[in-house]
Amino acid sequence: MAARPTQDVVTDYRYVPEDFMKHLMGTLGIVTILVLVLSALFGVPEKPPLTIQKYATQNPVTFEQVSLRALDGQGSIANYGPPYNNGTGNVESILQKWTGIIHPVNAAQDFILKPLTMAATLNPSIKPALTQFESASPALQTLWEQNYTKALDHARVVNGQVVVPKGVYGPVASLMNATLRLGKSGLMSGALIRNPNVVNRFDNQNYLLFLQGQPLQTAAAPLQLGGTQWGIIHSAIPGYPAAWWMTIPTWIYQWPFVANSSASDAIALSIGFLFWLALAFTPWIPGWNQVPRYLGLYKLVWKDYYRTHRTRKNQGDHTRGIS
Amino acid sequence: MANWTKLSRQALTEVMSIDTWLPETMPEYAQGFMYMLGSLTASSFVALIISGVILAANGPASWSYNGADRFAAAVHFWSVQAFFFFMMLHLWRVFFTGAWRGGRRETWVLGALALLIAIPTAFTGFLINGDFYSQWNAVQAKDGLNALGLAWINLPNAGQMMGMHLVVLPLTLSAIIFGHIVRVRIKGVVPPYPLKQPPHTAERS
Repeated sequence: MAARPTQDVVTDYRYVPEDFMKHLMGTLGIVTILVLVLSALFGVPEKPPLTIQKYATQNPVTFEQVSLRALDGQGSIANYGPPYNNGTGNVESILQKWTGIIHPVNAAQDFILKPLTMAATLNPSIKPALTQFESASPALQTLWEQNYTKALDHARVVNGQVVVPKGVYGPVASLMNATLRLGKSGLMSGALIRNPNVVNRFDNQNYLLFLQGQPLQTAAAPLQLGGTQWGIIHSAIPGYPAAWWMTIPTWIYQWPFVANSSASDAIALSIGFLFWLALAFTPWIPGWNQVPRYLGLYKLVWKDYYRTHRTRKNQGDHTRGIS
Repeated sequence: MANWTKLSRQALTEVMSIDTWLPETMPEYAQGFMYMLGSLTASSFVALIISGVILAANGPASWSYNGADRFAAAVHFWSVQAFFFFMMLHLWRVFFTGAWRGGRRETWVLGALALLIAIPTAFTGFLINGDFYSQWNAVQAKDGLNALGLAWINLPNAGQMMGMHLVVLPLTLSAIIFGHIVRVRIKGVVPPYPLKQPPHTAERS
């Protein structure tokens, strides 16, 4: 757009000498010293991640519950929907449906049965349970899973093993105990992020998704990291700043109609984007673009200019600058 | 058809001029701390690039076992804090002084775009860190992108996030910041409001 003369800027001002390079080096120097001092004093906030091994070791019963929900299709990823699978548990919009299944996850296979198949080559005693489970009818699988789900509510931990009351669990109890042992071994993470086509391991999606439900929720809540706790603007290490520049979208998440919606993420991000549009189009929004003029804070920013300008005007000096 | 080379030469003459980039004078009203905030933001971006290049050269997880890289990670972390801190102060200054006036609307929009793109640039940096904050925010924020039909941006995929954070987003942000600064330098910083002259009564100069 071509520049055009406007009526709302002064044109009578002078140009004064300025060492611009010194100005730039000065600000760079200030920032350099600032960040070096802050880094030396406070370091960097790094809270160790929640690993599968750590979670399995510290929470054997809930680890089995999480694993069982992956196996029976009730887990948050098992029943998520696009882009992972055909579930319905976390479908917020038609856009999400249109995206399709572009990062396919079959939680039962990818999180449990394939890792156990690999573990069975190290520990052949897993093999019969796997074979029995995979050759059973879906109805029978569901019966075993439901029974074991109920049993886990009464589970005890004895010598690191999960012990449940006697019941009809088929091979599911063995499979879950095997999954727990695999988790505690530290090998499960490797089994989750396998890609036989390449040797590097850039995509750690399934590692994160396996833990995304109860394990991470339980760990995040005391740190005030939950969505309804203004999560992202809080650091995992209390006392440190985090992404405080996300305050407005985080605030939107707290609005009751957003927080209680099944499409809270889609709504919050969309409203946040509207806020940004209002900022970006400030110059074109009548009324809003006059707010600074009426607030008058500019008089403080330019008080020296206005003072010297008044003095010069009184002295009859009308210097005209180039705007 | 117009001569593309001539058009490019005309456009670039001012953009690449030494007078544009290293002025020896400034308007008398553009003095003091309020006029350092944009440069402080840009300086923080320089600190981000330098510390980021060091981290990139050594690999994404080296901070977890190498003390020097951990310090570089700390510098990167505090640089992003400084970047947003000064950017917000700069935003307040330009808003309260109506900095879009006098043919400076594009400058304003480019600044707003820089803020918009800076957010995912910083966020993807948190995601590739591999600590608990990274782990938690990857799984939390993915639902928002999935819901908006942007699932191809797969937040739990650290490899993709590394590409986004090291190349796609900083290149985009650098281009926007460059455009913003070019506009600031060519158009100059906004002159003051005329006192006691509402816009509809002011005379054209």
